[in-house]
Amino acid sequence: MRTYSRIVVLFGVAISIMIFAISTMLYSRSSLSDQNSSKLDTVGGHTPGYPILQTTGDILDPTSFVIKPKNAVVDPMKYLREFNYGRISTSSNGTVIRDFTLIASDRQTKEVSPGVFYNVWTFNGTIPGPTIRATEGDIIRITLLNNGTKFHSVHFHGIHPAEMDGVFEGIAPGGKFTYEFTAQPFGVFPYHCHMQPLEEHITHGLYGVFIVDPKQGRPQADEMVMLMNGYDTDFDTENNFYTVNGIPFYYMHHPIQIEKNRLIRIYLLNMLEYDPLNNFHLHANMFDFYKTGTKLIPDEYTDIVTMNQAERGILEFSYKYPGMYMFHAHKTEFAEKGWTGLFLVKDGTAQSVNEDLNVTSRRNITNYSTSDFNKTTNLVSTGGVK
Amino acid sequence: MEREEGNIHNTYRISKRTILFGVVPFIVIGAMVVLLLNSPGIIFQSSVKPLPEISIEKVEFLDDNIVAFVRNTGPSEITIAQADVNDRIYPAAIEPGRTLTRLADAKVIIPFVWNRGEPYEIGITTDDGTRFHEKVKSAAPAPRPTVGQASTFALIGTYVGVIPVMMGLVWYPFIRRLSSNKYNFFLSLTAGLLVFLGIDALLESNEIAVNALAPAFNAQILIIMVAIVTLITLLYVSQRLIQRASKRSKPDIEYKSGYSSRSEPDLDLKDIRSSTSFQQQQMIRPIAISMMISIGIGLHNFGEGLAIGAAVLLGEVALSSFLILGFTLHNTTEGLAIVAPMAKSRRIPLAKLMVMGLIAGGPTILGAWIGGFLYSPIATVIFLSIGAGAIFQVVYSIGSWMYHINGRGGLLNNHWIIIGFAFGMLIMYLTGLLV
Repeated sequence: MRTYSRIVVLFGVAISIMIFAISTMLYSRSSLSDQNSSKLDTVGGHTPGYPILQTTGDILDPTSFVIKPKNAVVDPMKYLREFNYGRISTSSNGTVIRDFTLIASDRQTKEVSPGVFYNVWTFNGTIPGPTIRATEGDIIRITLLNNGTKFHSVHFHGIHPAEMDGVFEGIAPGGKFTYEFTAQPFGVFPYHCHMQPLEEHITHGLYGVFIVDPKQGRPQADEMVMLMNGYDTDFDTENNFYTVNGIPFYYMHHPIQIEKNRLIRIYLLNMLEYDPLNNFHLHANMFDFYKTGTKLIPDEYTDIVTMNQAERGILEFSYKYPGMYMFHAHKTEFAEKGWTGLFLVKDGTAQSVNEDLNVTSRRNITNYSTSDFNKTTNLVSTGGVK
Repeated sequence: MEREEGNIHNTYRISKRTILFGVVPFIVIGAMVVLLLNSPGIIFQSSVKPLPEISIEKVEFLDDNIVAFVRNTGPSEITIAQADVNDRIYPAAIEPGRTLTRLADAKVIIPFVWNRGEPYEIGITTDDGTRFHEKVKSAAPAPRPTVGQASTFALIGTYVGVIPVMMGLVWYPFIRRLSSNKYNFFLSLTAGLLVFLGIDALLESNEIAVNALAPAFNAQILIIMVAIVTLITLLYVSQRLIQRASKRSKPDIEYKSGYSSRSEPDLDLKDIRSSTSFQQQQMIRPIAISMMISIGIGLHNFGEGLAIGAAVLLGEVALSSFLILGFTLHNTTEGLAIVAPMAKSRRIPLAKLMVMGLIAGGPTILGAWIGGFLYSPIATVIFLSIGAGAIFQVVYSIGSWMYHINGRGGLLNNHWIIIGFAFGMLIMYLTGLLV
């Protein structure tokens, strides 16, 4: 009788282990859906007809979320139209002297895409670094302060003496150096750190745009700068993110507002590492392309331009019709990993802008009920009304 | 009287000291834990942040979305930042939340219109920008727990588990009429079949442990652990089962055995008590062994069912009728394994045989349901290991049973046993090629 009961106990133990295992499996499933249903967010629906999902959990959506400015590596909207002309003085012979200060840093960790933190190396705290602008013939003086832990330098493209090229003399941590040269010729140029390993210093973000205007100037236009880059956040020599102006998908939820029939001029530079090519494609329009910006006659009338690293140019166009237009890399991989944006073309009058917005934002309002996205749609609406 | 009290006192004092010696190591360990946790940096610098680790345990394709089940298998808390399909970033939801404590799991739901039969790669990026990914060879709709799907799985389980085992049982009358050598051949053939199944289960669970489970689970050790514990537990249980049965059985039960008299002379050397118990064991053991084989094969088939259900869920297997036929042929031998030990004992009622067949074959259906609807790699590994342990216990039982009926000769003295064992494994290998 005793042995019998022992066997029963043993079988009991075995069966209860089985039941425990099965119920654990069941629990791990049910625990996922067993949430408070008070918080329901919606995700998806970027493409018309695409599935929309309600969730009790968190939303992972870099295409429609705004990075808190405190954490973001750059404010792409501010960067877009911000041109730095430097502290201006005049030399004895009347030449304009422009003084700039660049602070190199390599210790910060900032948000490069919503929720993704990366050790960024920056000029003046942002990727891309500040846009430096001068007129042909000006004297440029750039003081580099190295606030980082490694040697850094600034290497400008353009014509200048060897000792101002920023290649052979690195600036030690805590060090300082002033680069001085005459801005020539006119055009669009990259500047970047040229310390070894070069790839490491560039991929971490030490680059920016340097614009030299022709003496006679260019026609009046709504000017903006666009720098195409990427981030390899897991160090496998493949980019995880592609952006224009530093944050993936930013201009998707913050469309760039432009006016109908107004001339738009984009100073475009490709600083993408690892991928041999990058490009810019404009929707529903064509543009004049000035390769490297060194001539005043356009090289091409097109809707797409392809560039290798450090290649650049000037795009000029205007929109005939109001509405929302995409621009993106026509390497679709890059587009779907962040290098996509929108132009919102306004008609000039408040009423028609509202109509445009209704067309474009109806989709957003119906598809996004999340509080975060409402903020962004509001941004679009108020901006449009103004 | 006094002296006894003194003894008791003495024993008490000794046990108190013993307790002290038992406790001291724990106090030292406790002190070390407190010291290490409260004074980081004194002994070991920990300035480097530990690397995140995520395993994507399962990817399901539903009507309008793809669901990835992720688990934090790294050393510290992780925040999930983004999800992608084929390395293209898509909006997604994560339930219950984006922050995962160690070993916690979450469901990432990506609204996505996917194409049937195409390969997909699902990627998850953590807040430090590390991307983890899982490839799915061929997208197939995840089985939903509907009546229709459940009956499909039940049908598969019946074809793969119940029918073959029952078919194998039909050999019972045939085996009963075999001569001693041929009986030995079939018994060792059974052992060969089972050894193959056991090794198969171990390899299968190892494959899952390596491919689907994170190193954090130490799943390979778990396989061996579970198999050994199952083996010794079932050995104990079967021992008790036999003892219990022999106590209850009457000594004058009919006993038909043509050749066991060969071992009778050995018994003369032993005392009368063990002689009767041995005789009883001769009657009881075959049935007990067959029952244990049924249970062992049942556990094995449960694991097989899990694997089949999971394969359907993961889209790795298009369940063709050819595949099911392969499984059927492969598993028919399992029925043979059940009836072989009973061949020379008294006649077994049909109902009892059916029960054994159901115990062995039925769990396939249960396994297919669980595997198909609630696939969990860790549970599959555990069940396959239990199955392996159970199979090896059965092999041990058959071995010791054959040792008994062969008397002094031992196991390796009879070439029929060697041939049968090798042939058993060969049959499994050849029918296994069909699957």
